[in-house]
Amino acid sequence: MNVLTIAWIALPFFIGFVVYLIPKLDRYLALGMALASAAYATLVFSAPTPVTLQLLDNFGVTLLVDPLAGFFILTNALVTAAVVVYCWQTPRTAFFYGQAVILHGSVNAAFACTDFVSLYVALEVLSIAAFLLISYPRSDRSIWVGLRYLFTSNVAMLFYLVGALLVYKASHSFSFAGVQNAPPEALALIFMGLLVKGGIFVSGLWLPVTHSESEAPVSAMMSGFVVKAGVLPLVRCALIVGELDPIIRAFGVGTAVLGVVYACFEKDTKRMLAFHTISQLGFILAAPEVGGFYALTHGLVKAALFLIAGVLPSRSFKELQEKAIATPLWIVLVAASFSISGFPMLSGFGAKILTMKNLVSWQVIGMNLAALGTAISFAKFIFLPHKKVEKPEELGKVNRGFWLAVTLLIVSLLVANLVYIEAYTLGNIIKPLATIALGWLVYLLIVKRLSVKLPRFLEQFDQLMGMMSLMLVFLFWAVFAT
Amino acid sequence: MLEACVFATVLFGFFGIILKKSLVMKIVSMDVMSTGVIAYYVLIASRDGVFTPIASVGQTAYADPVPQAVILTAIVIGFSIQALMLVGVMKLSRDNPTLESDVIEKNNTL
Repeated sequence: MNVLTIAWIALPFFIGFVVYLIPKLDRYLALGMALASAAYATLVFSAPTPVTLQLLDNFGVTLLVDPLAGFFILTNALVTAAVVVYCWQTPRTAFFYGQAVILHGSVNAAFACTDFVSLYVALEVLSIAAFLLISYPRSDRSIWVGLRYLFTSNVAMLFYLVGALLVYKASHSFSFAGVQNAPPEALALIFMGLLVKGGIFVSGLWLPVTHSESEAPVSAMMSGFVVKAGVLPLVRCALIVGELDPIIRAFGVGTAVLGVVYACFEKDTKRMLAFHTISQLGFILAAPEVGGFYALTHGLVKAALFLIAGVLPSRSFKELQEKAIATPLWIVLVAASFSISGFPMLSGFGAKILTMKNLVSWQVIGMNLAALGTAISFAKFIFLPHKKVEKPEELGKVNRGFWLAVTLLIVSLLVANLVYIEAYTLGNIIKPLATIALGWLVYLLIVKRLSVKLPRFLEQFDQLMGMMSLMLVFLFWAVFAT
Repeated sequence: MLEACVFATVLFGFFGIILKKSLVMKIVSMDVMSTGVIAYYVLIASRDGVFTPIASVGQTAYADPVPQAVILTAIVIGFSIQALMLVGVMKLSRDNPTLESDVIEKNNTL
């Protein structure tokens, strides 16, 4: 298993280069890599003990692959596979697939490592690959969006590096376990870096523009697994050091509510999905022990939603309400929306129940509000008008790859139900149904008629930078107080 | 004293990123900030001594090689990211010759 783990981490980088050498095989190699990761994830679930690796002595690289990481790896594999299938018939070059494989590999590495330096390297490789994918169309707009992402994450990672050094200074090791005796400023700096990378709370406000302005497959990858590379280390820190647990949970609630408030009032499909990603990351952090399963269901469903949003005739909800969309598209859209609202039958239900069960009492109100907000914001998709398709041309940009990709994601959502089958009790089923009904009612009676436009002031580049310094001060006091 | 200078460098870099209007100046400020971070690693590495860690008779005050090795990786990553950013800025400069970030932002995203 140890050799296999190292080979699995190194393989995507090797394949990333081979794709350039043999451009004809690009799609097959990329898909093969995704399937290899999926196979590895199933091995992790079936292994009796988690894989722990310590390369060299106590300064060296440490890896840990347990079922928690297994969920994240499986998300990564399935979403990558779906994106490759989606792009199969489009005229993308080998460069795109090469970067996608490298992105996949760096995210895998970030999930597996448990020391701050390997994590830093993995996150930086990830930023570079993500930048190249975002700016792949090479328009001014995409370059600016990519540049903005790279800049924000690089500045955050500089703060993170200082924090990592302070951990080393305190315990002579870069491993996650070292945070136990690290000074508060070290934790504040490291958390700031991870919060920005993971798109959590106000430091995640770079995320809506980046996710909504990229192409559909790139947004699917960004939302599906890239932001989770920053979330898993936070979850791990919360699990290792008990005192940090309340801080992470509080961030979870704050993020869930903040994201969902923006999502409710958003008038643009892709921006709504992006804000909703922020809120869902909050759900993962709100109950760190069971965050893995939630990350899996969210990654699958959000990738499907971004792919569908990419083929809808318009991005504005207002135009979509006037113009009916094709029924087949509407059906997959509704299936995905139901899963994310926590409707029984799809695994979003099990994930929500599991998260709600592991909450601490003070979190309950906030998280229920966030669940209600999810139902409200996805009612916008569910109540879109739809019509039967007579001619295949009416479907627009949809091709076979799209259907295969979306089917893969939705079938995986159905299968993932098996992870937490105990969720299906009468009491558990009634509560989400009531939440969804209430959410729809609120949507039809209030939100649909409102035309509130939330300001985008905080999403400006300079504000993002300024927010980092505020966040740093806030985190310092939060860690200091506990 | 040295530590204070290092932190001043990091802070100057960070404020430069916020206060400077031009994208190129922002990138230069980011470089200043990362110089500060690198200097901090070197400073911490020399806590116990400044001698190269090669075993020799009568010598115990060695510098700690681990932070230095780590920061070497970070330097390489940092400069490749800067190179990538400057290429992006070159592309942007064709349509936005002044490279003022708020103008580019207004034209492209908001």
